[in-house]
Amino acid sequence: MSDLLKSLQEAILTIDEETALKVTQELLDSGMEPEEILESGMTEALLELGRRWNCGEAFLPEVVAAAGIFERCSAIVEPALMAKADRKVSDKAIIATVKGDLHDLGKNIVGAMMKTVGLEVHDLGKNVPTEKIIEAVKELQPKLIGLSALLTTTMPEQENVIKALEEAGLRSAVKVMVGGAPVTQEWADRIGADGYAPNAPEAVRVALELTQVAA
Amino acid sequence: MTPEAPSIRSLPRTLQADALTPAALEAVHAQTLTVLEEVGVGVGGEAMCRALADAGAEVDLSTKRVRFPAGMIEKALERSPRTYVLAARVPEFDLAIDGQHSYLAVDGCAAEILDHETGERRPSTKQDLAMAMRLADALPEIGILWQPMSARDMPRKSQSLHELHAQFANSGKHIQMMTAVTPEVARGVVEIARVVAGGSEALRRRPIISAFECSLSPLMYEDGALEAAQVYAEAGVPCGFVVMPISCATGPATAAGTLVQSNAEILAGITALQVLVPGAATFYGCCATVMDLRSGAAACGGPEDLYLQMAAAQLARNYGVPSSIGTFATGSKIPDWQAGVENGLSGFASVLAGADLMCGAGLLFGARVYSLAEMVLDAEIFNLLHYLTDKSAMSLSDSIAQVIESVGPGGHYLSDKHTLQNMRQQWMPKLFDRLSWEDWESAGQPGPQELANERVRSLLSTHEPPPLDDGVEDEILRIIDAFERGDGGNEDE
Repeated sequence: MSDLLKSLQEAILTIDEETALKVTQELLDSGMEPEEILESGMTEALLELGRRWNCGEAFLPEVVAAAGIFERCSAIVEPALMAKADRKVSDKAIIATVKGDLHDLGKNIVGAMMKTVGLEVHDLGKNVPTEKIIEAVKELQPKLIGLSALLTTTMPEQENVIKALEEAGLRSAVKVMVGGAPVTQEWADRIGADGYAPNAPEAVRVALELTQVAA
Repeated sequence: MTPEAPSIRSLPRTLQADALTPAALEAVHAQTLTVLEEVGVGVGGEAMCRALADAGAEVDLSTKRVRFPAGMIEKALERSPRTYVLAARVPEFDLAIDGQHSYLAVDGCAAEILDHETGERRPSTKQDLAMAMRLADALPEIGILWQPMSARDMPRKSQSLHELHAQFANSGKHIQMMTAVTPEVARGVVEIARVVAGGSEALRRRPIISAFECSLSPLMYEDGALEAAQVYAEAGVPCGFVVMPISCATGPATAAGTLVQSNAEILAGITALQVLVPGAATFYGCCATVMDLRSGAAACGGPEDLYLQMAAAQLARNYGVPSSIGTFATGSKIPDWQAGVENGLSGFASVLAGADLMCGAGLLFGARVYSLAEMVLDAEIFNLLHYLTDKSAMSLSDSIAQVIESVGPGGHYLSDKHTLQNMRQQWMPKLFDRLSWEDWESAGQPGPQELANERVRSLLSTHEPPPLDDGVEDEILRIIDAFERGDGGNEDE
């Protein structure tokens, strides 16, 4: 592996955003394939962070920060990547905090941790209307949707999204996960979700299980 | 050589509270002097009575009652050093007794052990003691080793020496003798300590052991106790006095009354020692508690204990003598809610009171049963208190308003640079359960005892104590053998 690629990994792992962005640009300018930068540099760093997480060595703030840097490095390589027709696609996931709910911290953590296992995560944000989620599913064709709700008053929106997917004829094409403090396995079963997790690490495990089944 | 020897953790004296108002402190002191002057203390040894009479005490030899004038007490307190070093076989484990730090001792001396493998409660052995010492050696929270339990499988005559052997062989930390209570055994202890220290001058220069003697409450020092203290002090071994009265049984019914009696007993011991060996390093020890009114047993762990801990440590501070304060030692039978409440509050009380030594970790059932699991749980409480008293962890950075501004209303600190730089300062418990409900269920819903047992196993499976120098162990065993055959512990050695 090139020294530059190694220093990109190191910069992401040590949460040194400035260096990470600079090295990504340098790698691209040096003529390296964008896939290699993405896979051997950025994604490998997040996978390493995931391994550290499993050993109890990494903490949530690091995972979230590293995922943020990953996102901004992606923006640099993306144009070059899009220009190539034969690019390899990884499993896509959409995540969103449902309509009426502004609590997105848990969803952000789950999104960050999903990236550490190699999922391509599209974060639609918070207070996301159901129609916007349906549009994104049509456009991105993800294998998985993760719906977060922190309030008992917004939990029913998770059910509304599932109903809307059925009405749009998209339900069988995508797995739906739900989460958030008041959400339980019982609630997930009742509204017909495919998966539930009580915390971010567990959410990643369930997400992998669901995307592999869907593969 | 100190393989895997984490340095000892002490609590800096950054928080302090007084249980007694200045007027209450003065009243306790005045009533104590009245007790010492008018009631006096029973002293078992006739020669000791005569020595105290020569030094100004009023002695009735027919009843062996010694009454101390106030001036004699005050002179003794002036002679007692405020600071000294409790050295250790491994010099990195030396403890500065300087009025600025609190250290944790493993407590004693239980007669039984709660076996962490079988869950069985059974008489303790030399092997159990050795294992407890090895565990204590691995825990940075533990600074001092009492004999946590008796080596009941050893000959009674030499039991204390076997206990000391197990301690030296399994830890490099400072040892404090609590079971050597006659001058003969004290001489055997000193002989062994000299071998380990490298001679009598080496032991005097670096006392790798200390000791204490107990009163027989109310107001008695049995024949041999003060004599043993003299043996230690003459060898340069610090020797304190630790009292253990039980309110309503061997102490007055009120906690304040028991405080006055405790104070009198401790001051009598310190005064006798300073008469015999002026300037000897000593300490002020109190493990007072109350009697449970229905079982008749020592309660260990109620609010009276907390008051007695804080008040006794305050008196010691006021007298300028280092303190050793009974801390932890729950009355509960297993490491449970009661143990957590009692020991959490007890640890906090000793910290606030400014105890120099906190004895100690690992006892259950009012000091009658020893538990290795409880030792690591008490160490965890000490660790929490260490974090609380370590002001550097709680200091305010000048730029915090900027940090708050950069995140702003409605933002989050999760991936903020300041979080990433500072999050590892957060206290990380080893034994508090912070699992998610689901993870906790799938781990089998472990309670504190299970978590602690696991840590005990893990530490014991890896920790190797620093070995004794070549030939030292043989020499210790030779001394014990001679002692058992009746050749040891003689005055002319």
